[in-house]
Amino acid sequence: MATATVARPGRVSFSLDPALLIPLVGAGVLVYLAVLPLLMLLVGSFQAEVAPREFIYTLKNYQAAYASEYTYSTFMNSLIFASGAAILSFSLGTVLAWLTERTNTPLRRIFVPLAVVPLILPGVLESIAWIFLLSPKFGYVNVWLMNLLGLESPPFNVFSLPGMIWVHAVGQVPLAFLLMVAAFKSMDPSLEESAMMSGANTLQTFRRVTLKLLLPTAGSVLLILFVRTLESFEAPALIGIPARIYVYTSEIYLAFNDYPPDYGRGGALAVGLLLLSAVGVWLYTRATKEGKKFQTVTGKAFRPRQFELGALRWVGFGFLTSYFLFVVLLPFLVLFWASFLPFFATPSWDAVSKLSLDNYRYLHGFRPFWDAMQNSIILATLTATVAMMLTSLVAWIVYKSRLPGAWILDFLAFVPITIPGIVMGMSLILLYVAFPIPIYGTIWVLLIAYVTRYIPYGMRSASGSIMQIHSELEEAASASGASWWETFKRVTLPLLRPGLVAGWIYIFIVSFREFSTSVLLATGDSRVLSILLFNMFEQGQVTVVAAIGILMIATLLTIVAIFYKFTGRVGIQS
Amino acid sequence: MALLKRFSSLYFAVLFLGLIGFRPASGETLDEIHQKAVKEGGTLNFYGTLAQVNAEKILPVFEKRFPGIKINHVDATSDKLVARAVTEARGGKTLGDVLQIPLENVVQAHDQGLLLDTNLPESSDYPVGLKGSFWVASDLQYFIAAWNTNQVKKEEEPKTYDDFLNPRWKGRLIAEPRDLEMLLAFAKYRFKSDEKAIEFWKKIAAQNVEFHKGHSQLAELLVAGQAAACLTCYSHHYPSRIKKGAPVNYMLSEGVASINGTAIFKGAPHPNTALLFARWIGSLEGQKVMAQGGRNPAHPKVEPVEKTRTAKTYFITASDLKEFPKYDKIWKEIFKLR
Repeated sequence: MATATVARPGRVSFSLDPALLIPLVGAGVLVYLAVLPLLMLLVGSFQAEVAPREFIYTLKNYQAAYASEYTYSTFMNSLIFASGAAILSFSLGTVLAWLTERTNTPLRRIFVPLAVVPLILPGVLESIAWIFLLSPKFGYVNVWLMNLLGLESPPFNVFSLPGMIWVHAVGQVPLAFLLMVAAFKSMDPSLEESAMMSGANTLQTFRRVTLKLLLPTAGSVLLILFVRTLESFEAPALIGIPARIYVYTSEIYLAFNDYPPDYGRGGALAVGLLLLSAVGVWLYTRATKEGKKFQTVTGKAFRPRQFELGALRWVGFGFLTSYFLFVVLLPFLVLFWASFLPFFATPSWDAVSKLSLDNYRYLHGFRPFWDAMQNSIILATLTATVAMMLTSLVAWIVYKSRLPGAWILDFLAFVPITIPGIVMGMSLILLYVAFPIPIYGTIWVLLIAYVTRYIPYGMRSASGSIMQIHSELEEAASASGASWWETFKRVTLPLLRPGLVAGWIYIFIVSFREFSTSVLLATGDSRVLSILLFNMFEQGQVTVVAAIGILMIATLLTIVAIFYKFTGRVGIQS
Repeated sequence: MALLKRFSSLYFAVLFLGLIGFRPASGETLDEIHQKAVKEGGTLNFYGTLAQVNAEKILPVFEKRFPGIKINHVDATSDKLVARAVTEARGGKTLGDVLQIPLENVVQAHDQGLLLDTNLPESSDYPVGLKGSFWVASDLQYFIAAWNTNQVKKEEEPKTYDDFLNPRWKGRLIAEPRDLEMLLAFAKYRFKSDEKAIEFWKKIAAQNVEFHKGHSQLAELLVAGQAAACLTCYSHHYPSRIKKGAPVNYMLSEGVASINGTAIFKGAPHPNTALLFARWIGSLEGQKVMAQGGRNPAHPKVEPVEKTRTAKTYFITASDLKEFPKYDKIWKEIFKLR
C-alpha cells in the first residue's frame, strides 16, 4: 500500500502547470493592485512624523481624526449628504423607471435613453453647471426667479448642504434609474394582477403590492447610492469646500493638501471611510443574495403589465418632460452658453452682444488643454482595454476553471469596489512615492489607479457573459486538441465579445470623467481633463472651463460612437 | 598722450575682464548653463502658482529663449504645492526643480529642509527685503479692494479701506480666507497698533464677509456679481478683465504688497535647468517678461505694464514672516474661520 502513494522520484518537480500558473499570476496582479495600496494606507495611518522624515508608530492620528471638535460636524454632514442624495436620486430614478417601464405615459420610450444621458456629463462639470444655475447672487435660476416673482432674496443657494445633495443626486439618477428599471422588468406581474382582480385600483395596487415587492431591491439600491455618495468628491470639492461644509472625502483631501500635510490624520480618516464603504458594500451583496432566495424564478414567460394611468398619464408626461428639460438639459445648455461668454454674466442683451468664439480660439493654442486631452484619451482607452483583458481572464478562471481557491480571485477582484477614489489616490501616492519603480507623477500611476478601481465593473460584464457560455464549446475545442490558451483565444474570447464591448465602453466613460482619484495623482504633465477643469475653475477662468467641458463631452460622445460602430460590426450577432 | 591714456585704460579693462574670465563673480553665463541644462534632459519641473493666464505668456518665452527645454508646470494653490513637495520628500523623492510661490510658503518649504541655499548673481540687483539666502523675489502682489460697477454707484465707490465700515456694505463683501497679510500689514504699517487693526477688522467682520478660496476665483465671482466688493483681491487680476468689458473696477489708493519668491529645490532632478530658470526669471530680461505676462515685477528697474501698484503701500517684508502664525490665529478668530 505504502509504495503506491510514493511518487516516483522522476515525477517530483517544481515546474508549474500553465493552467495553474495563470491563476497564480492573476492573484498576484490583483493583490498588487488592490491589497498593497491598502496596506500602505493602513501603515501610514499609524505613523507620525516627529522630525522631517522620521516616523514613529502611534494611535494619535485616530484621535485627531475621530475625537476632534470637527468630528461630529464632519460625520453629520457626511451622513446627511449621503442619505439625502441617496433618497433623492432613488426617488427620481424610481419614478422615472416606473413611468417609462410600467405605465402608459405618452412618449415614454423616448425618455429611456434621455434618462441615461447625464452619465456622459462628468461630475466636475455637473457641479460647475449647477453653480452657474443656482449660485445665490448670479445663478441664472435665482436671477430669473427673483425677476419673475419680484423676490428680495435668491430662493436657492447651491453653496449649502441641500445644494450638494441636489447636485450629486441628479448626477446619480441614471444609476438609480438603470437599477430600478432592471427591478421593474424582473417583477412577476401575477401578484399585481391578483390585486387588480380583487378590486384594488391603480394607486392601491401600486402602494400595497408593487411597492412592497420592490422593498428588498429598493433597500439595496438605496444602500449602493448611499455608499457612492459617501465616496464622491466632486460636489464636496466644488461646492462643499467653498461653502465650508466638510464631509469625509473633503477632510481627507484637505489633510493631504493643506500645509503642513497631515498624512496620519488623512490616513485615519481614509481607513474609516474605507470601512464604512466596505460595510455598505457587504450589506448590499448580502441583501441582493438574500433577495434571490425569495425570487420565484419560473419558466413562465411573463411581461410585466402596464398600469393604466388614465388622465393622470399626462401628469406623468409632464413630470418626464420637465425632468428632462430642467434637470438633464439645463446643465448642458448653461455650459454651452457660458462657453461663448468672455466672462460669466447673467443672460441679457448686453451679454448676447458679447458672445464670441474666443474661448474656443483660446483653447486652440492652449497647450495644457491639448496635453490633458491626450492624457485623458490615452488613459481611458488603456484603462478600458487592460481592465477588460484582465477581468475576462479572471472571470474565466473563477467561473470556468474549477480550480480550488478560484473564489479568492473573485474576492480580490471585488475588493476595489469598496475603495473610495480619494482613498485610492492617497494610498497610491504613499505607495509609489516611495516605490522603486519611477511612475509617481506620470500617467502610469493613474493607469494603475483607474484599472484597479474599475476591475469590479469589468468583472461584472465579463463574468455575466462568461457564465452564459456553455462549457461544452470549450470542451469541444480542447477535445480537438486545442491548448488552453488557444481555446481561450479562439473560442471563449470571441463569444465574450459583446459583453466585453459593453464593459469597455462603460469603463472608457467612467475613466474619461474620473476625478476623485486623479485629483491627488495627476500633476503637471500627467494632468487629465477633469483636473484641468478643476484647476482652471479654481483660477477663475470659468467660461474657458465651460468651453473645455463642451469639447470634453463632444470627444467622449465621438469616441464612444466610433468604438460602438466599429465593434458592433465585428461583434458576434446572436 | 591722450591716445596712450585711452589704450592703457582699455588695457586694464581687458586685463581685468581676462582675470575674471568675462563672467559675473559667482557663476557662468545663462548660455553656458543652457548647454548643461539641455544635457540634463531638457525638462524643468516648475512648481508654481502662476495662473494659466500669466503662465502662457511667460513660460513659452523661456522655452523659446532656451531651445531644447520644456517646462512641466505643476500648478496648484501654494499650500497644495508645498504639501506635494513635502509628500514627495517623505517618500525620498525630489521631483520639483523650481518653486515659485508666495514667500511665506517658500519659507515653509525651507523649514522642511527642501530648498537649496543659493546666492544668485541676479539677486544683487534687489534691495535687502526682496531676497534671502534661499530665495529671490519673482514678483509682488498687491492686495486691493475691487468692486462690481453694476452694484456700486459711482458716488459710492470706496476711496480707502475705511469706507467699507459704512453699513451699506453689510452682506455685500467677499474676501479670501487665508489673507492674514491684511491684518498684519494694517497692524504693523497702517495703524502701527495691533489693537487698532484688530478693532478695524472686527468691524469689517460685523459686515458679514463671505469667504471664497483662491484670488482668481474671487475676481471671477466679483465679475459675475456674487458680491458688491472684494476686500482682498489681487490688483493684477483686474486690468485684463476690465479690457474684456467686465463690470469691475479697483482701488489703488492704498493696499498691501506681498512677495512671491523663486527658490531651487535641494536635490533637484535638473539642477542646472533649475538654476537657469531661477536666474533668468530674476534677471532684468526675465522680469520684463513677467511684466509682459501681467505680473508685477519685483526688480527695482522694471515697471509693471498695467496699473497695479498702489499709491500708499503697506509692504510685508521677509522679516514679518515669523509673525504670520500670530496674526493667522487672530485673523481666524476675528472671522471665525477654520
